[in-house]
Amino acid sequence: MGNTNEMMIEFDAVGENEGFARVVVAAFVSRLNPTLEELSDLKVAVSEAVTNAIIHGYDPKLKHAEENQEAGETPAAVTDHDTVQLRVCIADHTVTVQVKDHGCGITDVPQAMEPLFTTKPEEERSGMGFSFMEAFTDQLLVESEQGQGTCVTMVKTMGARDGQDD
Amino acid sequence: MEYELKLEQEWLWILLPPEVDHYQADRIRTAVKQKMQEQYVKYVVFDFRNTVLMDSSGIGLITGRYRELAVRGGQVYVSHVSREMQKVLTLSGIYRIVTPLEQVMTSGE
Repeated sequence: MGNTNEMMIEFDAVGENEGFARVVVAAFVSRLNPTLEELSDLKVAVSEAVTNAIIHGYDPKLKHAEENQEAGETPAAVTDHDTVQLRVCIADHTVTVQVKDHGCGITDVPQAMEPLFTTKPEEERSGMGFSFMEAFTDQLLVESEQGQGTCVTMVKTMGARDGQDD
Repeated sequence: MEYELKLEQEWLWILLPPEVDHYQADRIRTAVKQKMQEQYVKYVVFDFRNTVLMDSSGIGLITGRYRELAVRGGQVYVSHVSREMQKVLTLSGIYRIVTPLEQVMTSGE
């Protein structure tokens, strides 16, 4: 009865792929005919989740790895295994996005989700990532295990208009 | 479309790219810090005319500049903020510390 569709990709945990992740999700949900605002909101939420996976999940400082960082460049993935998994499921007009990393995990999830809380104030992180995810989606679930990784699940209804059938 | 920086006396004008995420914000931050070493900057303008998306990394970029300028009595402005971008900026509370340049212009200063 319902239209379902699902996709999953895995990519290197590097900054360049934040834009790529946004584009991929936007393309996949486009057939739902979302409003511009819904699409924009979802892209920002995805951007936040993917960024968290890259800069926190695989924080180079925690890995004690050598940083060959030039000014302005994002550190490259340190090993072959620093990847982010992005999964999008569509069921009718409900979009579920899952961003998963197998990085260091979050020690205190409620604390991490407090508005303005950040473990990286020195890097000018605003601490608003989770707040933005919450504001721009209908549901947010954060599951994490220290040393194992983090999975962020966001649900958003898109392209649903009253009394209209696709 | 890339970002652009322009220095004019004490003013630093930053033309932001279409999408400001962590990757872009880091690059811009590095370039801005370098520019601010070349010359004494007291006022920064973030120009959003080309920007259609920004996440919280962009907010961090702005608040970081505010902190740097506040100690020297400077100011941070935003300009050409589209309706779509208003949402993110308003949500972040950034308007508590930055002013739309258009407002300053029309106030007859």
